[in-house]
Amino acid sequence: MTTTTERPPATRAIVVPEKHRKDRGGDAATGQKASVWVYILVIVCVAIFGVPFVWIVLTALASPQQLAEGAAALLDLSNPQWSNFVEAFTKIDFLAYTGNSLFLSLLTCILTTASSATVGFAFSRFRAPGKKVLFTIILATMMIPSIATLIPTYVLFARLGLVGTYWPWVLWGIAGTPYLIFLFRQFFSAIPMELEDAAIIDGAGWFRIYVRVFLPLAKPALLTSALLSFTWAWGDYLAPSLLLNINNTTLAVATANGYVDPHGSGIPTLQAAAAIMYLLPVIVIFLFTQKQFMGSSLGSSVKG
Amino acid sequence: MTAITANATAGARTSSRGRGWKRYRAGTFYLFISPWMFGFVLLTFAPIVYALAVSFTNYDGASPLWRFVGFSNYVEIFTESPDVWASLLRTFGYTILVVPLSVAGGLVLAILVNRRIRARGVVRAIFFVPSVVPVVAVAIMWRLIFNRDAGLLNGILAIFGIHPVTWLADPYAFYALLIMTLWGLGGGMIISLAALQDVPAELEEAARLDGAGTWRTIWNVTVPLISPMLYFQVITGIIASLQVLVQPLLLAETSTVSQSSNVPTSSTMYMVEVYNEFFFNHRFGFGSAMLWIFFVIVLSLTLILQRASRRFVFYQVDTDVDEK
Repeated sequence: MTTTTERPPATRAIVVPEKHRKDRGGDAATGQKASVWVYILVIVCVAIFGVPFVWIVLTALASPQQLAEGAAALLDLSNPQWSNFVEAFTKIDFLAYTGNSLFLSLLTCILTTASSATVGFAFSRFRAPGKKVLFTIILATMMIPSIATLIPTYVLFARLGLVGTYWPWVLWGIAGTPYLIFLFRQFFSAIPMELEDAAIIDGAGWFRIYVRVFLPLAKPALLTSALLSFTWAWGDYLAPSLLLNINNTTLAVATANGYVDPHGSGIPTLQAAAAIMYLLPVIVIFLFTQKQFMGSSLGSSVKG
Repeated sequence: MTAITANATAGARTSSRGRGWKRYRAGTFYLFISPWMFGFVLLTFAPIVYALAVSFTNYDGASPLWRFVGFSNYVEIFTESPDVWASLLRTFGYTILVVPLSVAGGLVLAILVNRRIRARGVVRAIFFVPSVVPVVAVAIMWRLIFNRDAGLLNGILAIFGIHPVTWLADPYAFYALLIMTLWGLGGGMIISLAALQDVPAELEEAARLDGAGTWRTIWNVTVPLISPMLYFQVITGIIASLQVLVQPLLLAETSTVSQSSNVPTSSTMYMVEVYNEFFFNHRFGFGSAMLWIFFVIVLSLTLILQRASRRFVFYQVDTDVDEK
């Protein structure tokens, strides 16, 4: 996205009046009144988007007999099999994998947020030769196919003897994430210059100004970054499946691969129950912090 | 926010952004961004260059007896690997379907939840939640829906008297993957929604007063105004679709990773082919060559789109121009 740094010539140009934007996540009265057709469309879409959640719950509560009888039998909730959840919890060492996932996600969350905030701060506050070029590089790295990069990273780490350890996550955490660096830069850029003037006059060093003055102000951005990076790490499948082994891998990998019968085919009821348990933390985080999640889309920052 | 302009800003201050003088502190700047620079060099640049080096060898990931083989991996890809090209074409097909559908679908949903409907917050959350569900859970959910005997989809088809379809095998696996991907278009919806809420109501009202209908207003006023956002989604969507790997792996019938070649042909995308070369055939050299061809393709596409965007993407003149 070089659009933020280089503005391509607009084919037409108008000056848009000062916007009076309401709170993005709130229920500001934007748009027009809805017609019956709009409601019908909304209800159909809600059904389509919601049905997989309903279906996974129905499958998780089904008995093997119901499963064998076919789809219609799953609708019978007269005898819900709560034992599926117990079995999913005990068939693999669910608790240990949860601990691994929690550890890696927290590690990623803390390191990534700290690092991205620091880098974003530097890009919003300092002038230095090469700054513009470096920022363009950061934006360009958002365009690098990360999954394609992960495979050679795995080969490299294998040669360095880092496979099977959590060190790769430490390194990724320290490096920060372009998206979040961008987020912090936007946030800090909005803070007026006068704020640090007093501190500079008092003779405080930049690191102190950053920690004492800016980080406390950045609580909303820090929270957003922490939530996003935690969720990404919790949901990541490919990196742990390549870089970790059966004993120290994450819940994502264990849930995907752990519920097979002796013939090697999956056990749907247990997979459903395990997936629900694995998914629940993300849903809970999401429900409590919808604003951060929804406000974190690059917002108006992608505009030229 | 006492606006005492302690520094000499040129002209009137139109925004609270730090304009005027920024502090020239090169040393501090480089110290602060050093974590990212370390990461970029070691975790992005190095693996890509390393892959280039490996692509000229016959390295198998274990044996120390590898040697340089020149361009022979590339020659093999271009001359005697029909599967590679088939998977590349498949990946293009998937991308050409997924990207427009998800961007347009996301826009339609954004327009819907931007209206004054009841329970708007809940509806918005229901549309958005699928895009934050971890991919492993998404794949399990859809495997249950596509399940041949106890799946919802075949259950619905049975009502209409249609015989059960084996969704997760050829030739249907491609469509299963497509449907599963499109379920997550709520992420795009949120981005479009943020852009929609930035569109000045005056412009849409003006179009209405001029007698334009709902569709015309959307197409001629709203879409051009949010086109930078749509373009951003198209670019990121294309890159995400071209490198799709985890979804086909997890959607395949068996979930033990060692049996990666169980991905049905119709959902074997380019990166799945790469994955198989690396972890199933242990041909690291060949796989790396495939990766480099992939990098070149993605880079070229991005540059082409970047040029094309000058014609289609419309950047409004902001009242507060950021100095960079």
